[in-house]
Amino acid sequence: MTRDIALTGWQVRYEQLAFWRNRRAAFFSLMFPLIYLLVFGTLTHGAHLDARGGLAMIDFYVPGIVTYAIVLIGFNTTALNFAYRRTNGVFKRIRATPLPWASYVVGALASTFLVIALSVVVMLVVGIALFGAHASLDTLPGLLSVLLLGSVCFTVLGVAGSRLVNKPEGGMGILMIITLPLTFISNIWFPIDGAPGWVQDLAGAFPLKPLADGVATAFDPSTAGPGFAGHDLLVLGLWTLAGCAMMANTLRSLSRRA
Amino acid sequence: MSCQIDDARHYRDATAVVTVYGMTNAIELQHLSKSYGEVHAVRDVSLTVGAGEVFCLLGPNGAGKTTTVEIAEGQRVPSSGRVTVLGRDPARGERALRDRVGIVLQDTAVPVDLTVGEILEMTARWYSRPRRPDELIDLVELDAKRDTRIEKLSGGQRRRLDLALGLAGSPDVLFLDEPTTGFDPHARRAAWSTIRALCGDGTTVVLTTHYMDEAQALADRVGVMVGGEIIACGPPEALGGRDQAPTEIRFVLPDGLDAGDLPELPAPSAVSQDARGVLITTDAGLEVTHTLTGWALERGHRLERFTVAQPTLEDIYLALTEASS
Repeated sequence: MTRDIALTGWQVRYEQLAFWRNRRAAFFSLMFPLIYLLVFGTLTHGAHLDARGGLAMIDFYVPGIVTYAIVLIGFNTTALNFAYRRTNGVFKRIRATPLPWASYVVGALASTFLVIALSVVVMLVVGIALFGAHASLDTLPGLLSVLLLGSVCFTVLGVAGSRLVNKPEGGMGILMIITLPLTFISNIWFPIDGAPGWVQDLAGAFPLKPLADGVATAFDPSTAGPGFAGHDLLVLGLWTLAGCAMMANTLRSLSRRA
Repeated sequence: MSCQIDDARHYRDATAVVTVYGMTNAIELQHLSKSYGEVHAVRDVSLTVGAGEVFCLLGPNGAGKTTTVEIAEGQRVPSSGRVTVLGRDPARGERALRDRVGIVLQDTAVPVDLTVGEILEMTARWYSRPRRPDELIDLVELDAKRDTRIEKLSGGQRRRLDLALGLAGSPDVLFLDEPTTGFDPHARRAAWSTIRALCGDGTTVVLTTHYMDEAQALADRVGVMVGGEIIACGPPEALGGRDQAPTEIRFVLPDGLDAGDLPELPAPSAVSQDARGVLITTDAGLEVTHTLTGWALERGHRLERFTVAQPTLEDIYLALTEASS
């Protein structure tokens, strides 16, 4: 057991080594959201959202772009990564070695988590230090809870989502078709407060809007208390449970013998 | 046909394995079949491989070699029949068994952004008896490439890395699927000597190959597979009755002589002559050769391009596979 935990730790290290050496993927995962944040932060500097009681625009965009980063790295990158490994026979090879399947999978997912954490921290720091986003220690528990649950949620959905990708070459396109339209109705690029009720209900049924709204709760100066976004956490929690079931199914099919 | 060991002569230094597992057969396949719907990839194959033995599966593409090997590796589950590797059922995927089995696939999927040294270090950690990365790099002669990323390796270097990865856990049983495809002649000889060195350690090796010289150089026994069945099995020297096949003597007679001028031969022989020279086929190669060379020396005839040959492994293989397809 101790040995397997140590093995998992080593797997994280090698996953990280390989991840950061692949500059293109690293750029795509980390720099894209950061560039969006810099652009939106600069363009809307000093602007306010009257519909939300004069909320500073940056307090809307930091949660939105952080959500985008979690979706991009947690879902898109994980799905593509697993699809690539499946089609290239990586899993087949791992199954033939004594490395426990769990150590391999947990190692890969933990490595993704590290990348998400780094990306989120960088964006929070840039948002707060560079653009003066509202930060409060009072709402830190709420912020951490929704970030953690959201990261788990999109990563497990990413493993399940790898099944949608038959060929990794065209995979990013397929994943974009799923995630990109949802980002437009999920309080990521612009507030959808004025959209018809059914659009909001539709968006609220998927996990993107709850994550963005949950993070936004923590950044809203009018939030009192620890900032737990109860309803958003509930929706994310349900998606995480469903995602875990789908992930388990995917992992079982990956480890099945022909 | 079944392919059992009938003779302990083929076991090499297998004592280490025998003491650990209390047995002499590393791999046993009994009446193994694998079907995919109407397609019968493997039909009733029975095969034993002794501990420390090098067994080579030959056969045309699609003959069922890879499926058979993948069943023994535990990658596939047979439709019927019994399989044991080191006394265990590979289909159960036990970690203890995977710890003792090395597999070299035709195209090993590895993270190409890691260096040769890193991937060997990573892989060796998974095993309870890891080989040191330096030792592995030495074995496959990749010393100069230790810090090179895998994506920058040539095809042949990749295959050598695959071999090193298969050896990372000091396996008792090593499966090699076409291990030297894409190697230059030098690298092939080097890989062969690595594999031979392993056999000296008592490692059991099962290899598939398209190269007859590879089978000849490495294998204790060869099994020929066609259409999912093993149609012939035995040591390379004796496969398909090769050791009893007639000897072929070829030479070119000097100008002015033809086959009718040859001396009387001491044993029944078939003599034929064409533009390329004389061909004599006989079961008494030694005696006929003696008579012919004695006659030529005595008369002062030069017999150009004089050769005495048994059929090669390739001749036998082609005859066997053509006869059954």
